[in-house]
Amino acid sequence: MNKAVLGMIIGGVLGIFDGLSALVSAPETRPMITGIVIGSTFKGIIAGLLIGWFARKVDSLAAGIVFGLAVGLLLAFLVAAMPSATGEHYYWEIMLPGAFVGIIVGYATQRYGRPATGRAHPGLS
Amino acid sequence: MWLSDGTVAHLRAVADMPDSAGTRYRILEPVGRGGMGVVYRAEDAALDREVALKVLRTPEVQPDLAARMLDEARILARLEHPGIVPVYDAGTLPDGRVYCAMKLVRGRRLDEIVTPDTPLTERLRIFRRVCEPVAFAHAHGVVHRDLKPANIMVGEFGEVLVMDWGVAKQPARADTPHGSPAHTATAGTLHGTRLGTPGWMAPEQERGDVDAMDARTDVYALGRILRFLLDIGRAAPRPLRAICERALSSDPATRYDDAEQLGRDVDRYLAGAAVDAYRERVWERAARLYARHRTAVLLVLSYLLMRILFIAFG
Amino acid sequence: MHHETFPPGTPLPGGFPLTRLSVVAGTGHDDPALQREAWDALIRAYWKPVYKYIRMKWHADPDAAADLTQAFFADAIDAGFLRRFDPSRARFRTYLRVCLHGFVANARKAAGRQKRGGGYRILSLDFAAAEGELHRVLGTEHDPERYFRTESIRSLLGLAVSALREDCRDRGRETHFALFERYDLAETGVSPRPTYQQLADSLGLTVTQVTNQLATVRREFRRLLLEQLRAISGSESEFRAEAIELLGVDPDDVAL
Repeated sequence: MNKAVLGMIIGGVLGIFDGLSALVSAPETRPMITGIVIGSTFKGIIAGLLIGWFARKVDSLAAGIVFGLAVGLLLAFLVAAMPSATGEHYYWEIMLPGAFVGIIVGYATQRYGRPATGRAHPGLS
Repeated sequence: MWLSDGTVAHLRAVADMPDSAGTRYRILEPVGRGGMGVVYRAEDAALDREVALKVLRTPEVQPDLAARMLDEARILARLEHPGIVPVYDAGTLPDGRVYCAMKLVRGRRLDEIVTPDTPLTERLRIFRRVCEPVAFAHAHGVVHRDLKPANIMVGEFGEVLVMDWGVAKQPARADTPHGSPAHTATAGTLHGTRLGTPGWMAPEQERGDVDAMDARTDVYALGRILRFLLDIGRAAPRPLRAICERALSSDPATRYDDAEQLGRDVDRYLAGAAVDAYRERVWERAARLYARHRTAVLLVLSYLLMRILFIAFG
Repeated sequence: MHHETFPPGTPLPGGFPLTRLSVVAGTGHDDPALQREAWDALIRAYWKPVYKYIRMKWHADPDAAADLTQAFFADAIDAGFLRRFDPSRARFRTYLRVCLHGFVANARKAAGRQKRGGGYRILSLDFAAAEGELHRVLGTEHDPERYFRTESIRSLLGLAVSALREDCRDRGRETHFALFERYDLAETGVSPRPTYQQLADSLGLTVTQVTNQLATVRREFRRLLLEQLRAISGSESEFRAEAIELLGVDPDDVAL
């Protein structure tokens, strides 16, 4: 399995988990749970695709984790920036899990998955 | 006439020195002594390099060994592998002794270089490097038949060389005349002949059952070597002991087929994967997978812990 | 009783002709000339070790030891104890020493009785020289058995050197032997062995000539040494085992 596909799968699975966890952490969101799960899953897949693509290009565990963290935080921020039905912003509750997802996908795509040929290594021209 | 002790010792060494006059080699000093003869450090004037010159004892003393050493040279000449000491030349010296010029290996024997302080992974990597040239030989139909730590040299740069192929067996070639020394020393070794070193021989070798000797005979010896390497340190993990036991099976049919198979199982162990020789219990498999993917597992657990904390305190 | 015989001149593998019979084959041969040659070789090789051994083991005085040595070999020729030698049971040197023990024990019981070998010439033996050599180790060597072996080797090498000297003289190779004597027989306790250049300068040769001639004479030395060894070995297999032990450095060296 190549790294991009691996990233999408892990990101998607964690996205589903993230979405479903709203049922427990924020029961008032139950009526909108379908949309939440779909949105969260989509976010995870996009994050996984981007991070997996990066892993195909750059062979560095540290760089992969940092990139994953950045992508996870960014996508989570874009979601958290949208106000809820009550007008509140849940930055902490959305961005922290988003960061974790980015780190996990970043580590997994660097460590596992079939690499592309001829990718660059930091420090090499 | 009176000869002092010093002169006696010198004359004994002089009498044993090969006569290389007229050849391209200048003998410098003896560096080792084996059952077949003496190995000297020598200078190859033609190529301006040092070589190891293995010289048989005088044919008066051991006439049957000449054919065996020339066979060894031919086998080595056909096996070109970084882990097999290359042979450069073979012939007869002016004094009638047969010689074989080989790469001069500077290093130490396996049993000298490995100590209880050598980490297990390092011992296994060395063992893996021993399996490679033997596997190469097996792929070319050659069986060493005398594998032991004393026949394995580790060079100054960590390279591993398998030495002393003097009793190696190879299938007789179609163009080898039947009954010739070359034929006899290969597929035609006499039944009942015990070639090898006691303590390192497979059961079929001990019995002199030549027909039963094949790559699995070497696998047995490799198993002995692996056990030797494992016994130096602390108690070995079960999968490694299982690999040893399978290689040391008295029934060749239950051993690994060749050195390549044995080496691959050791590779699996080094990579943290399940080995063929050992059937894991569930908890052992879980522990191995955890050890192999520790970071990923911890990351996921951290994520779940974060989720739980959110639920508890969110 | 097992013994091996090869007609003189029979070539061996490697092209080396056999010029000596084993000691058992030679002393038991039908040809009187070959018998004498075999006895001569045996006595030449072993009389000194036997004399020194008697002196060291039984603390006999020099005259008594000399008499016992002469009588022992005379008795060996007369009584033919060699015919009872079995190479499969022991090496000849060991058998000789055991026979010597028995002989000395009997001789002490019947003191004064001497025999002479009928029809055989006992070589004139320089016991004074042997006594002088013995004095070099008296007080330092405490193992008579090991000393017997050491002296047997020393005697054998000495015979080979003498044979080499004769051989070089017969072939007009005096320079070859001179090089051998100055280099390989040099005592290095006080001063180092001469260099090839020094040898070349002293004999009016080039270094290449020194190298080649030394190689030639050493080759001859080896051949003569092995010939002498075969003549005092009990069998062909004993000869091979003795040759492996004799040549080169200590066999206990680490094997490659």
